[in-house]
Amino acid sequence: MVNPGYRNFKGEDWVDPTPPPSNLPHVDEIGSTSAPLKSASFFIGSLCQEYNEDFMLCKNENRDPQHCLLEGRKVTRCAIDVLQKIESKCLDEFRNHWRCLDEKNQEFGRCRVPERAYNECLFRAFGWKKVVPDSPANKPQIHERTPLTK
Amino acid sequence: MPVPFESFIPFGVITGMFLATATGIRYAQTKRNEGKAVRYSLDDWDRKMMVRDKQLTGTMRGQVDNPIAPPEFKVNSSWKVYESLRNDFA
Repeated sequence: MVNPGYRNFKGEDWVDPTPPPSNLPHVDEIGSTSAPLKSASFFIGSLCQEYNEDFMLCKNENRDPQHCLLEGRKVTRCAIDVLQKIESKCLDEFRNHWRCLDEKNQEFGRCRVPERAYNECLFRAFGWKKVVPDSPANKPQIHERTPLTK
Repeated sequence: MPVPFESFIPFGVITGMFLATATGIRYAQTKRNEGKAVRYSLDDWDRKMMVRDKQLTGTMRGQVDNPIAPPEFKVNSSWKVYESLRNDFA
């Protein structure tokens, strides 16, 4: 097939010159671009927290790529799982939210209206709540505040 | 004697030049960003994510939301492809 953007270079002729060793287990890569990932970021962060922290601590010991392959595979699979769950139940709200983010320089504060519908859909489907980590407990979450002006 | 209309022509020309500049800039930016607004305040993270977006969709502003990447994604990174196809122009 012809990859988009590479009209004159057919994808079948591309060969990886330095393939990974064949004894490693296969892992799929995440195929979503920046806006959907940013939209799902808080949920990936809260659901995959153990795997992400394992990976970061492992990288802290040793930056060599070979050292943290196992933890990296777990991180990728967890994120793919979260994205698949979101798309199975809340596809339209998810798409509305990341399309809005894409037009507004990927800033959360400018897309609160689609975000509200998206969070409600995810809460109804899975019981997930978006929580900003390390936010003060005595104040409402920033995405749940009622705006001062219309 | 009332103000002669000829004296307003240069002001009209100046205003027209401003409008032409604005139209040209807006057209160029919209064309370059596929109809979306320009992305500003980009840091290294955003630039590298845009390079990754180009690997997945072919353009810097294209967006898709598949959970699993197509098999070409493993080989079309600019580090694996030769210099003339390097796609890190962010």
